[in-house]
Amino acid sequence: MACVLFSRPDHDVILSYLYIYSKELVAASISLGHKTINKEKQYATKRNIVGIIQKQKPELIMFNGHGNEKVICGHDNEIIIQSDSNEQVLCNTITYSLACSSNAELGPLAVVRGGCFVGYESDFALGRDPDSEAVPHRDKIAKLFLEPSNILFNSLLKGNEAKEAVEKAKRKMKENIWYLNTTNDFPEASYYAPFLFGNYLSLVVHGNKNASIM
Amino acid sequence: MTRENVDLEKLKREIVIERLRQAPPNINISFGSADGKFMNRDELIKEVKSGTVLGEKIIKIQLEYLKAFKTKILVE
Repeated sequence: MACVLFSRPDHDVILSYLYIYSKELVAASISLGHKTINKEKQYATKRNIVGIIQKQKPELIMFNGHGNEKVICGHDNEIIIQSDSNEQVLCNTITYSLACSSNAELGPLAVVRGGCFVGYESDFALGRDPDSEAVPHRDKIAKLFLEPSNILFNSLLKGNEAKEAVEKAKRKMKENIWYLNTTNDFPEASYYAPFLFGNYLSLVVHGNKNASIM
Repeated sequence: MTRENVDLEKLKREIVIERLRQAPPNINISFGSADGKFMNRDELIKEVKSGTVLGEKIIKIQLEYLKAFKTKILVE
């Protein structure tokens, strides 16, 4: 079984959605028998995360957080991984980064000497139902954006190759875009579709596309 | 930039603003904002109108989406 590391900050509204939707991934990792290290909320710090990567050498890592082309952040937007600084700690692991644009520059650099980086080359869009703010896990719109991401990471947890996990996520995104364009369930649905399509275009794998934890 | 290019850029912006105007005011989107906030329709339009970095990204996404129907990428 593999060692799996989660970084799950939760200090603002957007991150709380990622935090809640990724709970099931932590549970899935445990139930699959992986050694699961979950650093969440105030424990998603550079010191904790980088320390664990260096000592435990996880085969699979998931980052929730804010980011840009050069960085992935943790609790209170502390920079955890930065290109041309410490991106090499991700070498020889499979990393999934749900942090905006982190697969534009940081991702490719991180896997120059091996490993695999899955993430978004531009901004990750997240829609939500304003009426569900108090209950994000029941938000029918947020689910359409975050379900493909969970399918992707679940696939990696089960030992599928990175390219296969991405293909599954993209298939689900297409289904959800189709749904948004055709449903009568809520009138604003079609206006969310272009943003989900942006996620579809920007999700890519860098490094070894055949990498898996098995 | 030529006059032709300037007009094209203006046209793209106007198309996106009009598309966003048709949306209900309560749509909520987070799109690359590190401040941890969601934006409603009017805030999205403001970004596009003001030509901010975020506004330019919104234009790009909306136009890529329209092009997708031509390339059939969404129905493959």
